[in-house]
Amino acid sequence: MMFLEIIADNIADWAPRLLAGLRLTLSLTAAGFSLALALSLLVEYMRSRRNIWVSSIARLYITIARGIPILVVLYLLYFALPGAGVALPAFLAGSVGLALVYAAYLAEVFRAGLGAVPTGQREAALAIGLTPRQAFQHVLLPQAIRYTIAPLVINMVSLLKDSSICALITVPELTLVSREIMSESFRPLHVFALTAMLYFGLAWPASLIARIIENRFQNGSPVTKCCQQTALPPGPKTLSQLQSLP
Amino acid sequence: MDEGIANLIVQALCAGAFVTVKVTAGALIVALAIGMVSASVAALTSNRLVQVAIRVYVELLRNVPSLTFLFLLYFGLASLGVRLSSMAAAILGLGMIGGAVTVDIFRSGFLSVPVGQKEAAASIGLSPLLSFRLIVLPQGLKLAMPSVGNYAIGLIKDTSLVAAIAAPEVMFNARQLVNETFQTALIYGSAAVVYLVLTGLMAQSVMFIERRLETQ
Repeated sequence: MMFLEIIADNIADWAPRLLAGLRLTLSLTAAGFSLALALSLLVEYMRSRRNIWVSSIARLYITIARGIPILVVLYLLYFALPGAGVALPAFLAGSVGLALVYAAYLAEVFRAGLGAVPTGQREAALAIGLTPRQAFQHVLLPQAIRYTIAPLVINMVSLLKDSSICALITVPELTLVSREIMSESFRPLHVFALTAMLYFGLAWPASLIARIIENRFQNGSPVTKCCQQTALPPGPKTLSQLQSLP
Repeated sequence: MDEGIANLIVQALCAGAFVTVKVTAGALIVALAIGMVSASVAALTSNRLVQVAIRVYVELLRNVPSLTFLFLLYFGLASLGVRLSSMAAAILGLGMIGGAVTVDIFRSGFLSVPVGQKEAAASIGLSPLLSFRLIVLPQGLKLAMPSVGNYAIGLIKDTSLVAAIAAPEVMFNARQLVNETFQTALIYGSAAVVYLVLTGLMAQSVMFIERRLETQ
């Protein structure tokens, strides 16, 4: 195997650099995702307000953030902001850019989660004398969280993948490191295959966990239980099978 | 700002938008073809090997960043002697990744068709193949439509990545113009507007198609 031999020959040189890039990818993901979580709660809170101005600003923000590519946001933050006197280091621009975009997606996740709790729950909570705030805190929120965990993990995986875009604003994360190695060693296939495997090794287990959580909560929730389709009963499934019966 | 620069920006971004639309359309066709064929095969076959192969394809491409995959395709294949043009690599790369997304979309569309429909088809004597073609496929596609629309909107944004393999789309042209004129905020801001218009148009047409499907 030529392919594996070449990797084995170079692994001593490549591994430390790739791992350093991987570490930065993980930091970008962690920083971007925590910032995005905080920002998305703010955005979702603003959108749920009665004040038309406040909720419109939140809506407009979500529309814009979902309508433009992350690359544009990163370029604006990293290349255009210095013109306004704010020069962000590449890592900061990267994590803030990712967070600005993902805040809009996470806000949608939280809205869907709260929307999935049946309205009867809120009515019942108010009927037994809880204040709206108590109803939110003790009845609605704990139920909404179960619906949001799986989508949150899925979004985190997407953010991990999108952190590769930060390579284009010179953050030396995994993808940029592998580009650099490529231009020195002229072994693009090997380096990028290795990089892809590293990303896969991080993203795939997380995706699997998200799927397990999703199935678990779906089977247990009363909403899906009553709408579950009846499976085909055992026995003859087609007319021809029926006719072939004794 | 003088008029010369404004003209330059409009020209560069319009030319870029044209390429962006071309890449989006090409990748969408590739993705829908891969997704449709694989999901149909997966629904019809009971061959474990085929099922596993489709699953592996989906899991691999859904858990690797688009940018890394584009680099692998563009630079990696070139080192094997298969030299793709940057447009071909862009369309093929985004299309293959999109194929992994649309397989899952179509599959869950087919699964969402009520079981009663399949039972009814079986009870009037349709073969599994006919039942799939006449009953499950049309209804499943309709159910999958909203997700396909979301994917198409996301795809427009993802085409910005192919600037990194030198396909002359909006961001690539914007970057070049910035290097010449140094109007950073103006040019990237205009690029953002171009993408907002393109994704907005796509969202409108998806909504239009969905409404048409509903009235049918």
